[in-house]
Amino acid sequence: MSEFKLAVQRFDPLTDAKPRLAEYTVPMREGMTVLDALLYARDYLDHSIALRFSCRQASCGSCGMKINGRPRLACYTQVEELGGEKVVAQPLDNFAIVKDLVTDLESFFTKHKQLMPYVLRSDAQELDHPTAEYLMKPEELKKVLQFTYCIKCGLCTSACPTVAMDVKFPGPQAMAQAYRYLMDERDEGGEKRLEALDTAHGVWRCHFAGSCSFVCPKGVDPALGIQLLRRHVLSGKAPRKQGEGAKVWSAPAGSTK
Amino acid sequence: MSLVGEERAKNKRGIWGWLNPYHYNLERWAYTFQRVTGVAVLLYLLGHLGDTSFFVGGPTGTGPSSSSWSFIGSIFENSFGHLILVLVVLVLTFHGVNGIRLILSEFGLIMKKPSGIEYPYRPKSLGSVQKSLVWVAIAAAVVAALWTYLVLFEGMG
Repeated sequence: MSEFKLAVQRFDPLTDAKPRLAEYTVPMREGMTVLDALLYARDYLDHSIALRFSCRQASCGSCGMKINGRPRLACYTQVEELGGEKVVAQPLDNFAIVKDLVTDLESFFTKHKQLMPYVLRSDAQELDHPTAEYLMKPEELKKVLQFTYCIKCGLCTSACPTVAMDVKFPGPQAMAQAYRYLMDERDEGGEKRLEALDTAHGVWRCHFAGSCSFVCPKGVDPALGIQLLRRHVLSGKAPRKQGEGAKVWSAPAGSTK
Repeated sequence: MSLVGEERAKNKRGIWGWLNPYHYNLERWAYTFQRVTGVAVLLYLLGHLGDTSFFVGGPTGTGPSSSSWSFIGSIFENSFGHLILVLVVLVLTFHGVNGIRLILSEFGLIMKKPSGIEYPYRPKSLGSVQKSLVWVAIAAAVVAALWTYLVLFEGMG
């Protein structure tokens, strides 16, 4: 394959009534990613294509889009792995379109924030005037490590069938992060977290289609987090109560610090 | 400011995004079938409650009408009716067995523990145990439907 067809969904809500697919012919080169192809089309064929990207190495989560019908990162998807002569790039489903491939992720970040993606503590004095870091055992870190790899690209939430129907559903990303902080050894806000998840539009709306984990480019596996979360919500028991979180590091006797 | 394409710009997939599993994983297909068969089972149950209520007391009983006994009975006593019953068994068996898989998965009973991850990433939640249970549900549904076919059409059992 020396060249291939790249179809890009073009849609400007200000002037267009509905989206259309524009086709470009892009020369193939080894190792070419879909992002490379889109940038080629934008640089040499049509300067008006709107897309969002930044790091080009699956770290920033900016270039999430629907490629050949499935949410993927454009920078992390090689044209070759898609097989076939045509690549179709469309904006992520279930997020409002700003223009062409650029979607508005505001609702996504709002839901993330609503589930408190930060460590909650009862020792306000230590939080405001920290004396040292909170200690975390390596085996405790392992329980949450994979969930910390989330880059907030929005692919999982775009793929989720519940999100397609229910605007109040927090979505897989937010709930996986809720599990990540619930299980964090330093966190003491478990009861508050469980309460936020135990609603009609909360954790019970997940029916385990597994699409979130299927499309996740970082191996976060949000579906795993949600299923494990469910047992905690059902029992209503937080892993830790107030004051039971990891303690602040203190210098061993005789050390210089 | 009014947008010409305001409706389309919302980009909500709605019911089609909910039901369409194309391009996705096996579990997503199972999800779609679980939902569709759930509605089908509910409709069948309502119909079933209706037609069995005509049988109160049997042909000579105090049901709405004794002649309805043979009328209701005759609905399923033909090839088309038998085909419907084969489908009902197919749908019920899949929904039941797949439902057990979902109970086990959703309460984390067949989920592996989270840990560090290594490339290439393979989601633990979509691991082999619960994936094979999807196939068990499909196989059970096919076997049950085949057996029903043999009983109804070939006079076995």
